[in-house]
Amino acid sequence: MSTSTPKPQPEIRAAPRTWKSRGRLLGMPISVLAIWAALYIAASAVPALPVPGMAGMITINAIMTAISGMVLGPGAAIANAAGGIIAMILYPYGFSAGPLGFLTVTMGGLVAGLLFANKWVLAGILEILIIGSWFVNPQSWQTGMWLVPLPYSLIALLVIFIKPLRDWVRTSILTLHKVWLWPAVFLMCCVGHAGEFMMTNTMVNWMFNLSWQYWVPTLPYWIMVDTVIIVVSTFVGVGVLIGLRKARLPQYADWLEK
Amino acid sequence: MIGISSGARRTPLNGLDGRTKLIALLTIFILALVFSSPYYILGLLALVLTTWAIARLPWKLIKDILKFFLIIAVIILVVQIFFYPGETNLFRLSGPIGFIGFSGYITLEGIMFGIAMVLRLVVIMIVAPLLVLTTPLPEFMLALVKLKVPYRFAFIMTTALSLLPSIQSHSAIIQQAQLCRGITDFETGRLLTKLRTTAGLLVPLILGTFRDSQTLDVAMSSRAFGAPVKRTFLLESHFCPTDYIILILAILFLLGGVALRVLGYGTL
Amino acid sequence: MPETGVIVCENLSYIYPNGVQALCDINISINRGDYIAFVGQNGSGKTTLVKHFNGLLKPTRGSIRVFGEETRDKKVSALSRKVGYVFQNPDDMLFCSSVEEEIAYGPKLLGFEEVEIKENVEKILHELGLAAQREAHPFTLSLGDRQRLAVACVLSLSPEIFVFDEPTTGQDYFGGKSIMSLIDQLHAKGKTIVIITHDMPLVAEHARRVVVMNQGQIALDGTPGDVFSQIEQLRRLSLRSPQVTLLAQNLGSKDQTILNVGQMYAWLETEYLVSPRAAIGDFI
Repeated sequence: MSTSTPKPQPEIRAAPRTWKSRGRLLGMPISVLAIWAALYIAASAVPALPVPGMAGMITINAIMTAISGMVLGPGAAIANAAGGIIAMILYPYGFSAGPLGFLTVTMGGLVAGLLFANKWVLAGILEILIIGSWFVNPQSWQTGMWLVPLPYSLIALLVIFIKPLRDWVRTSILTLHKVWLWPAVFLMCCVGHAGEFMMTNTMVNWMFNLSWQYWVPTLPYWIMVDTVIIVVSTFVGVGVLIGLRKARLPQYADWLEK
Repeated sequence: MIGISSGARRTPLNGLDGRTKLIALLTIFILALVFSSPYYILGLLALVLTTWAIARLPWKLIKDILKFFLIIAVIILVVQIFFYPGETNLFRLSGPIGFIGFSGYITLEGIMFGIAMVLRLVVIMIVAPLLVLTTPLPEFMLALVKLKVPYRFAFIMTTALSLLPSIQSHSAIIQQAQLCRGITDFETGRLLTKLRTTAGLLVPLILGTFRDSQTLDVAMSSRAFGAPVKRTFLLESHFCPTDYIILILAILFLLGGVALRVLGYGTL
Repeated sequence: MPETGVIVCENLSYIYPNGVQALCDINISINRGDYIAFVGQNGSGKTTLVKHFNGLLKPTRGSIRVFGEETRDKKVSALSRKVGYVFQNPDDMLFCSSVEEEIAYGPKLLGFEEVEIKENVEKILHELGLAAQREAHPFTLSLGDRQRLAVACVLSLSPEIFVFDEPTTGQDYFGGKSIMSLIDQLHAKGKTIVIITHDMPLVAEHARRVVVMNQGQIALDGTPGDVFSQIEQLRRLSLRSPQVTLLAQNLGSKDQTILNVGQMYAWLETEYLVSPRAAIGDFI
């Protein structure tokens, strides 16, 4: 073996830990997804706000859904679905859409997660599909029904499709900007929550043909509820994002930076 | 109310394979959505109730579930009776009231459709407990895996379920710790205060549990999670003749139901 | 006025919602300025008992009075100004985004004056050596500092009684030392201290009174000297006196209970007329 020209030695590295990639799903470690699912079930047991006309409740899993995309990325859909299916069985009062209720929480996590992963085209298609499936139903052309998806779905569409806004939201969250983190997390929560509640509304509407005589009078209440959930989610989201970063715990932002 | 986790009851339905029950449930669920005629949905309801009787599940549970959805059922019924655009006028209640969209007449179609929607709600809400109460959760997970739900997904579900008790006790400890720091009680207090304390609870709970995730990660990989081999199962399930019969019936039902609907039956 | 206990339990029993009887007819009186350690196996009811001291749990039967008042219809938040409870895992208590905020949180909720809070926070930050990290996120602190911060949070409500649930568990030697010296300082300022621990040498060194719990009842109650001399009784309760106590007993110290190495030296010098330092000094 000739050693005439000493080549620069390659940096010594540990063998790549292949189990890491096997233990991951859409960028997040499976253990983290499982833990999120467990938190999700636990949150589904805590009622927060009443649903008009039902003994059921909006539980604080709505907060988990709203922030899931920012924390877990698209993997949030998987974690929310896994948690949602079990939560539906254990604590059914939190799911007003019957046996398919877990789809709603999946959708919330998926749209926000895709957006956070900058797969905005996919997120946009999903968001349009959700809002579209509301308007495909002839019911939705009755008086005032177009108002129902308006408040937060509109914000979601804007965040997804306006590039500067989208980039600003993502950068502010990724860099944990001292000031802009708050409004950015708020907008992200709007996207996550809008995905969930529009999916629920659409499904309930298709299944039971609730017409405008139900939706329009309860609309102010729903807007209040959605606002409260999104505001609380913003507080939780900011706390969790900062805490995860400071404690160097796994979150989707790490994966994005790689 | 239903909050039964492991569904440890011994019922005749326990013997069935989880997959069979899951598919049968989906069939009934889909058919309930396909039909909009009260007679057809009534047939489905009869089927569900018969199964309920065979499974010897408590009737009180149905009462509880119905009580749970009573108000929304009444709303659905009232909305349809008054506002469904029917043609066969039964009787005149008043003059047309434009701004709430009431034509002034109660129509036959409105009543029928209202009943159909309420029956649909009842079927959808009581068909799920049939599966949940007769299938222990591990069997349910196994059924999902056997139905080719990706193993990792099922793993997330099982792990989540086993982590649940520790998370719930952790959350109770955090609540106590926060009470000790002067937070007014979680149970009382106004709505906004309650939501604020909820936020204060979720942040440490999520962070604390995420911290544990690293231990779980090591535990998983040290037990060969994700090894690229075909895995075997501790719990096995096999189809018995009854399973096959029910499966075939379910598929026939589903196809027949959809065919009927396409041919124009089963609607109003 | 006769000095009555600051915490008085009379026939206190507690049954968990799942039917497990955790406490059975507890009678105990804790006096102002006590430094009391609760010891016992896991599941013996120590934590359940001390959780009654600040109203986290309410007795199923019997009564508990804190500063003469029944806890039954008192809120935990109201009692937290009198009885501070430091949890075993400091992370359970912390949720703000900076050390400073964390300390000021409780007083703000309880409506202390703004100026007073500021001064108090400043004082506590310096007392506990956290001043340099005032801006830091609690999660970035070391375990020892997080524990200090948890104490700081309780301290900010200036309670009279401090309850510590296993303060040294999970700490390294110096971490444990430093938290114990902090507790000693609090005691020196006249605060009443209650600790739960499994660490017998720690009890022997710091506590003035030891309560041994077993199956929801008080098995022994007395000074560390009294309690640790009952070696047989303790063994039946699966507890063990500190090694130095056992050694001294084996060497024949019947009338005196040796609790630490210093006492051991002194006793050896008087009893055997040897100076252990001279005898074994070469080895130390």
